[in-house]
Amino acid sequence: MGFIMEGLDAEAYDRTYSDGHLIKRIIGYFKPKLPLMITITILIVFNAGLDTAFPLLVSNSIDTLSSTHAFQTAVIIVGFILCSSVLSWTCNLFRQRFTARSVGDVVLHLRKDAFTAVMSRDMSFFDEFSSGKIVSRVTSDTESFATVVTLTLNLLSQVLLYVLIVVVLFFRNYQLALMTLTIMPAIIGVALGFRVVARRFTRRAQRSLARVNSNVQEIVSGITIAKNFRQEQNMYDEFKQINAQSYYVNLRSGFLYNGIFPVLVFIANIGTTIIVYFGGHSVLGGVISAGEWFLFVQSLSLLWQPLTSIASFWSQFQLGLAASERVFALLDAEPRIQQTGHETVGQIKGEITFKQLLFSYDQRQTVLKDFSLTIKAGETIAFVGHTGAGKSSIGKLISRFYEFQGGKILIDGRDIRTLDLAQYHARLGIVPQSPFLFSGTVADNIRYARPTATDAEVYAIAQQIGNGDWIEALPEGLETLVGETGRSLSMGQRQLVALARVLLQDPAILIMDEATASVDPLTEAQIQEGLDVILKQRTAIVIAHRLSTIKHANRIIVLDGGRIAEEGSHEDLMRRGGHYSDLYNTYFRHQSPDYKPGEGFIPVRDPNMQAPSTR
Amino acid sequence: MLAKREFTVANTYHYNWSSPMRWIISHLLQYRFLFLGFALLCIVNNIFAASTSLFIGRAFDAVLQKNTALQQLGMITLAMLIVITMQGCCDLGARLTAEMLSKRFARDAREELYTNLLGKSQTFHNRQRVGDIMARASNDMTQLSDMMSPGIDTIMDSFSSLFMSVLFIGLLNPQLLLVPILYVIVFLVALRFYARQLGPVAVNLREEFGQTNAVLTESVNGIEVVKATAQEPQEIHKFVTRASRYRDFYVQNGKIHGRYLPTLLLGIALALAFLHGLYLYSHHEISLGMLVTFMSLMTYLRYVTYMSTWSFSLLRLGVAGAERIISLLKEETELDANMGGHKEEMRGDVVFEHVTFSYGSTPILKDISFHARPGQTIAIVGQTGAGKSTLTKLVNRIYDVDTGRVLIDGVDVRDWDMDALRSQISTIEQDVFLFSRTIAENISYGLGSKADQSAIEVAARDAQADEFIQSFPQGYETEIGERGVTLSGGQRQRLAIARALLTDPRILVLDDSTSAIDSATEDEIQKAIHRILEGRTTLLITPRISQIRWADSILVLRKGELIDQGSHEELLARCETYRRIFSHYDAALPASVGGVEHD
Repeated sequence: MGFIMEGLDAEAYDRTYSDGHLIKRIIGYFKPKLPLMITITILIVFNAGLDTAFPLLVSNSIDTLSSTHAFQTAVIIVGFILCSSVLSWTCNLFRQRFTARSVGDVVLHLRKDAFTAVMSRDMSFFDEFSSGKIVSRVTSDTESFATVVTLTLNLLSQVLLYVLIVVVLFFRNYQLALMTLTIMPAIIGVALGFRVVARRFTRRAQRSLARVNSNVQEIVSGITIAKNFRQEQNMYDEFKQINAQSYYVNLRSGFLYNGIFPVLVFIANIGTTIIVYFGGHSVLGGVISAGEWFLFVQSLSLLWQPLTSIASFWSQFQLGLAASERVFALLDAEPRIQQTGHETVGQIKGEITFKQLLFSYDQRQTVLKDFSLTIKAGETIAFVGHTGAGKSSIGKLISRFYEFQGGKILIDGRDIRTLDLAQYHARLGIVPQSPFLFSGTVADNIRYARPTATDAEVYAIAQQIGNGDWIEALPEGLETLVGETGRSLSMGQRQLVALARVLLQDPAILIMDEATASVDPLTEAQIQEGLDVILKQRTAIVIAHRLSTIKHANRIIVLDGGRIAEEGSHEDLMRRGGHYSDLYNTYFRHQSPDYKPGEGFIPVRDPNMQAPSTR
Repeated sequence: MLAKREFTVANTYHYNWSSPMRWIISHLLQYRFLFLGFALLCIVNNIFAASTSLFIGRAFDAVLQKNTALQQLGMITLAMLIVITMQGCCDLGARLTAEMLSKRFARDAREELYTNLLGKSQTFHNRQRVGDIMARASNDMTQLSDMMSPGIDTIMDSFSSLFMSVLFIGLLNPQLLLVPILYVIVFLVALRFYARQLGPVAVNLREEFGQTNAVLTESVNGIEVVKATAQEPQEIHKFVTRASRYRDFYVQNGKIHGRYLPTLLLGIALALAFLHGLYLYSHHEISLGMLVTFMSLMTYLRYVTYMSTWSFSLLRLGVAGAERIISLLKEETELDANMGGHKEEMRGDVVFEHVTFSYGSTPILKDISFHARPGQTIAIVGQTGAGKSTLTKLVNRIYDVDTGRVLIDGVDVRDWDMDALRSQISTIEQDVFLFSRTIAENISYGLGSKADQSAIEVAARDAQADEFIQSFPQGYETEIGERGVTLSGGQRQRLAIARALLTDPRILVLDDSTSAIDSATEDEIQKAIHRILEGRTTLLITPRISQIRWADSILVLRKGELIDQGSHEELLARCETYRRIFSHYDAALPASVGGVEHD
């Protein structure tokens, strides 16, 4: 069956906690609810006491019947039984109410914590783990967490009931009581054995379910591709296999959970048989009365109920513990970004200095090595270079999305590690490579960075981008709904919205990663005008590809393999005829209407320089 | 059943979608023998269970009458042992079959939903939130599984226990039936009342869960923007608002649980039953042993009373989940696979005849007519939102026209077999979507598992992707996405081109948006595009104006209307909008370009 378990490994940030540690943390969440929890516990104790009354009262009345036939006393006892059941019900009513309230609050609290934890993770976390799995931890797993608590409370009442009955039995006849308890070791043994296996099975089952879900998520997200290539059949076949795997894994754990019950019931029934036999003997020997015998037999049926509850408790308790383990692992995942301080950021001029920076995404390959550079406040810097030269990494490091391994980054002379990140980000504008929009209107998205902005402000900003012509193309202007991830809008429109969003944010430092990509030629010109406005008066780091963007730059940095190959103005670099002119050459040829693709790379021969550059 | 769908699986079992209950039943009926076995095992199990009470009563009578008591006691105990052993076997059998039904149900329902989602049109998928679909596919499915086991499993078991207890009480002495029968009636009424109260809350609870999920998914997917704008508090506020509403329903749900009347009724019934039993005993209608049996049978009613809260709420939640799943299943799709339609090798002649298309009530394209001859490249230009992408999606029937016709080789696309049509048309999308699997698998995606390694490598080489693929340590076996490498836009596009090259389509739709790739990559992409255009009818949307310039014909769109079409020279001469594109680029060209020599 080895194949069934393939690919069901844990996430990298998963860790194992001891049960004790988990429970301690869960209890920690309930501390603020202490008065409510105490009330609930009192109600539970009360409830258990009332529930024990029934077999006792019945057994007493049987004894009075067999001896004196006093119907009157029996009727009074029945009256007691009635009262106790009404009281017990009322206790339960309040108990349920209070439990729902406290558990509801705690789950809300935990979800809030989990979500806040997710939000505070750095970008490397989101690159590594699929959104589907993160989401399931915050919603589904916190819900399973709630069941742990509800179950624990139920268990408490069951155990109390159990203890009360056992105490009563011992007072009646300790020999028979001991006999009643002979089945205990068997039940405990089975339950413990079950516990060991259950936890392992549960983890596998949940992981395989997570795999099915991420498979479904992938097809829902990539449905267009599947349709274009008519690959529905293959997708289906693959899903079927994963679904079948999940079926076997889940069936196995299901068998375990549901099979444990009959086994425990069977053991309990053997107990009943023992009591019937030896109890009968005791009655014949005159050791106990018939009423007491009845009490023992009846109690057994009351006794194994809590015991099976304990067993079923384990099953779901394990589910819940495994779930809370995953939630806590999410909460405790070590952030890779380590801030050494939280200094107030205030107004930023926008000077950025890299000092002997060392950076790699993982151990495999170093992206930046001994990288030093100073960007003056208000300067527009364009980074150019081949893919993988480290251009995007520079943007991500200034954004403080990733942790670097050596050297320093200074913002206005202050170590980036000492700044308050939230305040810093507020002063930072980022136009990502692929613009993400939130569902809502275009206006909502523009004011995303500054939710307090008025409609008039939003409109004014939108007008500044490309003279506002693009708003006309939207069916309902700024009130157009953008759909999930903005997919009701075209790529170009999303870009424009992203630009407007940053413009409204009015940051001191702007980081633009290929921001002008994928806008149609007609809109392109308008965007350039918008960029003029955005780039003015702030430090801008542009990972640039467009001629006009580069022309705007005060300085161009040519990156090659994580090092600065050349730097200077466009004219200087062209004159030098080095690395930049190579890049420039290919870069512009395709933008010229006369360009014909696939003609290869033509080296620049500057008339002023004798040595032609070669590849 | 849906009248139309884009994808079907042969020999599928057809489930009844007319109501959630019927759907659930039709699923269970698929395993009718297993279900029947399960039901039988439940009943037999409870017959044995109830009969143990009879033995206990017998033992009491035997002991209290004191003649040959010891011998009888031994016999009774022996019989009890046999009965409980058999009961244990039945019990185990019932639980395991229930588990099988439960997991099979979840598996089949998940498969049904998956197949169904694959069969839906793009229009449908544009409407739906991924998070919402996911909530249905994951949580509602778990609800379904839980509904069968332990839900229906417990209901079957507890109700057969109820039935058997009442039956055995009747066999004991028909007069004893008075209280139990009354109780059963009141209990059923109270249970129904309870279920009615709980139902709407359960539905709301589920729905709110879906919404919370959707909000959360969005925040996680848009994390870069959230972080870049330091708007974590806003996202947390959004999430907490949703989660708080969920909490409110949860509390309401708990309150209804607390008001569960049957437990109170049971307490009263037990007291009254005992009173009634005492009365009959004092009038010598029944023996003490019978009273004992009666009371222990009465306590069996505990099981159904206590478990019903839980088991019926599982059933409710399951039905609510089923309802949400069915509503998703039932969503009509606009297109169908049109199996048995026109099927032929394409030449690549595309004609648009007075095509009009609206998305909902928004008109996107108005009266578009043009003709693309086999092998021609048709460039489409126009401002963002002019309808360029939509136009190309009418060719492979991602959408269907409202009025007018789209003809391929003279045949209306609606008359083509969907498989034949789409397999001969390739699309390279704006947002290149790659699956989280190896590079080789992504390239060979269009062929499924049929592609061999050498063909994949040839396609990758033609798409100028071979070089960067080889630079990865695992080469073509490198995983992409979540667990593997992250690719740049240009790399993704070249993989998409390789993917399209491998299927060798007659018609190509190239919705090219990866314009400003960095310099060296750019030339490679241009080469790749050039290679893929060869000999194919191509509808080209591109920001690269050189490609527009060299196209055989250019369509100029403005707000859904075709304002002009013709060659580059013709349009330069007569079309103002078209001229604007080039005047801007010419103006942007630096003086130094003049010094660049081409050789």
